[in-house]
Amino acid sequence: MHLTQIARSTLPHWHRARTNPRLMVAAGLVALFVAIPLVYIFIRALGAEPEAWQRLLRTRLWMLMGNTLTLLLAVTGGALLTGVSMAWLTERTDLPGRKILRGMLALPLAIPAYIGAIVHLTLLRPRGGFIPQMFEAIFGQPVPLPSPTGFWGTVFILTLFTYPYVYLLSGAAFRTLHAVLEEVARTLGRTTWQTLWQVTLPALRPGLMAGALLVALDILAEYGTVALLRYETFTSAIFIQLSGRYDRSAASVLSGVLVSLAIFVLYAELRLQGKARFTQMESNWRPAPPSMLGKWRLPAFFLVLAVISASLLVPMLALVIWSMRAFMNPQALAAVFRTGSIGFGSFVWNSLWTSSLAAVAAVALSLPVAIFSIRHPSRISRFISRLCQVGYAIPGVVIALSLVLLVNRLLPFLYATPFVVVIAYVLRHMPQAVRSSESAISQLSPSLEEAARNLGRTTMQTFFQVTLPLIMPGLLAGGALVFLTSIKELPATLLLRPAGFDTLAVRVWIWAVDGFYLQAAPAALILVLAAVLPLSFLLRREQIFR
Amino acid sequence: MTTLEVQHLTKRFINAHLTAVSEVSFELENGEILALVGPSGCGKTTALRLIAGLERPDSGLIRLNGQVLASETEFVPPERRGIGMVFQDHALFPHLTVFDNVAFGLRGRKPSEVRAEVREMLRMVEMESLASRYPHELSGGERQRVALVRALAPHPVLLLLDEPFSSLDADLRGEVREQVRGILKSIQATVIFVTHDQEEALYMGDRLAVLQHGCLEQIGTPEQIFHTSATRFVAEFMGNSDFLPGKAIHQGIYTEVGWLPQPVAVNGSAPVEVALRGDDVDFDLAETGNGVIMERFFRGALNVYRLRLDSGQVLHAFKEHTIILPVGTRVRAYISAGHPLAVFHEGRAVSWS
Repeated sequence: MHLTQIARSTLPHWHRARTNPRLMVAAGLVALFVAIPLVYIFIRALGAEPEAWQRLLRTRLWMLMGNTLTLLLAVTGGALLTGVSMAWLTERTDLPGRKILRGMLALPLAIPAYIGAIVHLTLLRPRGGFIPQMFEAIFGQPVPLPSPTGFWGTVFILTLFTYPYVYLLSGAAFRTLHAVLEEVARTLGRTTWQTLWQVTLPALRPGLMAGALLVALDILAEYGTVALLRYETFTSAIFIQLSGRYDRSAASVLSGVLVSLAIFVLYAELRLQGKARFTQMESNWRPAPPSMLGKWRLPAFFLVLAVISASLLVPMLALVIWSMRAFMNPQALAAVFRTGSIGFGSFVWNSLWTSSLAAVAAVALSLPVAIFSIRHPSRISRFISRLCQVGYAIPGVVIALSLVLLVNRLLPFLYATPFVVVIAYVLRHMPQAVRSSESAISQLSPSLEEAARNLGRTTMQTFFQVTLPLIMPGLLAGGALVFLTSIKELPATLLLRPAGFDTLAVRVWIWAVDGFYLQAAPAALILVLAAVLPLSFLLRREQIFR
Repeated sequence: MTTLEVQHLTKRFINAHLTAVSEVSFELENGEILALVGPSGCGKTTALRLIAGLERPDSGLIRLNGQVLASETEFVPPERRGIGMVFQDHALFPHLTVFDNVAFGLRGRKPSEVRAEVREMLRMVEMESLASRYPHELSGGERQRVALVRALAPHPVLLLLDEPFSSLDADLRGEVREQVRGILKSIQATVIFVTHDQEEALYMGDRLAVLQHGCLEQIGTPEQIFHTSATRFVAEFMGNSDFLPGKAIHQGIYTEVGWLPQPVAVNGSAPVEVALRGDDVDFDLAETGNGVIMERFFRGALNVYRLRLDSGQVLHAFKEHTIILPVGTRVRAYISAGHPLAVFHEGRAVSWS
């Protein structure tokens, strides 16, 4: 089946069916829906008074640019290093316990970086953190410890919670790498080490690059962590302009610059897409044999364990312990279950329904785009498909800004309803849905649809009786991904929610910022658990737990 | 009785410099198997898809049992054509069992009728016991048979087969081919069959249609195609022919290996080419001959000798398997055919008598 799929997908495009005008219109409308907020931000940025531009250029813009770019480079580098080394150790060596470690290394994706930051901050804060306090009690005097705030603290935290992108993509590439490639290099006189640098890693380069660019886009959009750790970037500056000073023209200018940066990164990512794998599963494929670590087995194991501890075990353990303490402390317990007039159940429910609705809507909207771009490839359909992926390049704060302005003007009846939050999720996470749907459809041989037509089904009947049941697993994966990222989304929710509409992410954030980490812990724990479910479904699909 | 009528069928794709199907016309009798054969990219699959309704022709006419399926003004969608098709990759629905795959085309009938019909179909290919299996649990040959009966179950007026055996292993291919031809003949199906394999075309087709660059080069019985090829291309494609240049003079052809007393319909001393297969050529040992043995291939029942004439022209000649001659031996090659040979002038046949 696999080979025939490859064969079909390399057929010259004129072998495919004719363009269906209804499909094209539907896909075009989806693209329009996605493009409007983006275009609107640029209109507002360019339409801002020249004073706003001049003021920002004179004062903050260059500083923010420098801060954002250095953070971007440092975290991307850190994530590449961590991700690739973890993938190599668990996929290609005889590391003890690698099967369990493999899954654990991917799980930090379920923990929003700001929750990780809250935990590490609470533990390590120079004054009042758990660990400094403990050391002071033991040694009788303050012990200088690394602080998780500032530039390096932010790099540390963000690396811990973004490396799984690189880890997953390079892990998949390591797994599918053809043994023969490395064997050929050895017969041509390369040592193991030379083979790794000259053959294996270059062969994985597209996968690594794709992972690194996803990390970069994530960093450009990151708000919670940088705000909490007091490292100023574009997103935190825009957030302050929006929520504190209500200076929309300054916010628009900053957003315009930020989105331009992100689009630059996204463009590189889109160029790579599809080339993301050099390796192909050929019929004579067999996995490369694992490298023997020898005396490095134990140090390597502890290295992996350290990464897992910092990114998964410590945060989870801390959340569990604090949750238990919160439940034993009647005051905190009362606060957890009743905050003003709103109970715990209501923000769990709010998180679930907004994210689920966003997942369903994003997958439904992605279908016409995906079918159009895969079954009717042309310049137009490729353009539409790419346009639908700009969500990656629009950080949550920017989506929020754009929607605040647009909804106010065009759809006032939606203003201050939770549906604006859902729209923001859909816009921001449409790319995941489009990519999942496209990959699901491209794996379906067009001859199956043609066979159904031949056996008496119309286009519509064929879609519902053949196409949809067969691509359903792929659509579910896309939905799970959208759900996962939506439930973690913080800045757009904070800025767009109607007064009193709390989600888990919002509650965790507000409590944590106010210093009530005990109260925040149960909500954070539930948020992480709600994200683990779709994530483990996705990982199982990727066969990471083999 | 004529079942299918195709007139001046033409299809051009955007971004392709060649016309995929150009002015193709033919007719198909009821119960006949037509093999559409040609090298890859010759337009044979496109022709099939045009007939199935999976592509829309630019011009031309397709008529099935007198009813117009496609013309300048009309286009019947594939689901209303009553044409069955077996796809190259079989295209069995992976989410349906063998039974449901076969039943897929049987709609609007009583469930009991559908059951009986599917059973009957599966019995025909000896697959009844596997009715509840899913496609991924079947072998290649079994999938092939399911794909065939799925297309046959709605009793299509016309059945199209797109390279149906190409996904099978070589040793299985011959066996399945025989079975399929047997089934198609026993139910007197009208069939168009696409292949790039000339041997398969000769075996399967009652008639053959040879395509090149979207144009129909020749249509006829296997014997006509093989022995009296209409163009040099057909002769080249259908069998391992060597083309020996010559000059047509008076009542024959003058070639490097001698005089061929066969009149051809061209004007005096025009350059022609004579198509020669291994059984049309023989040679004697002769120091003063006209060529030399380059290589010998042992083919079991006979030896094939590759000869190079003094002009550089290569010919192949069959000898009995007992006659073994060393490479480098000088020989005198001559034409030994006891029948008229195909002769081409500017690529077109100029003689059969």
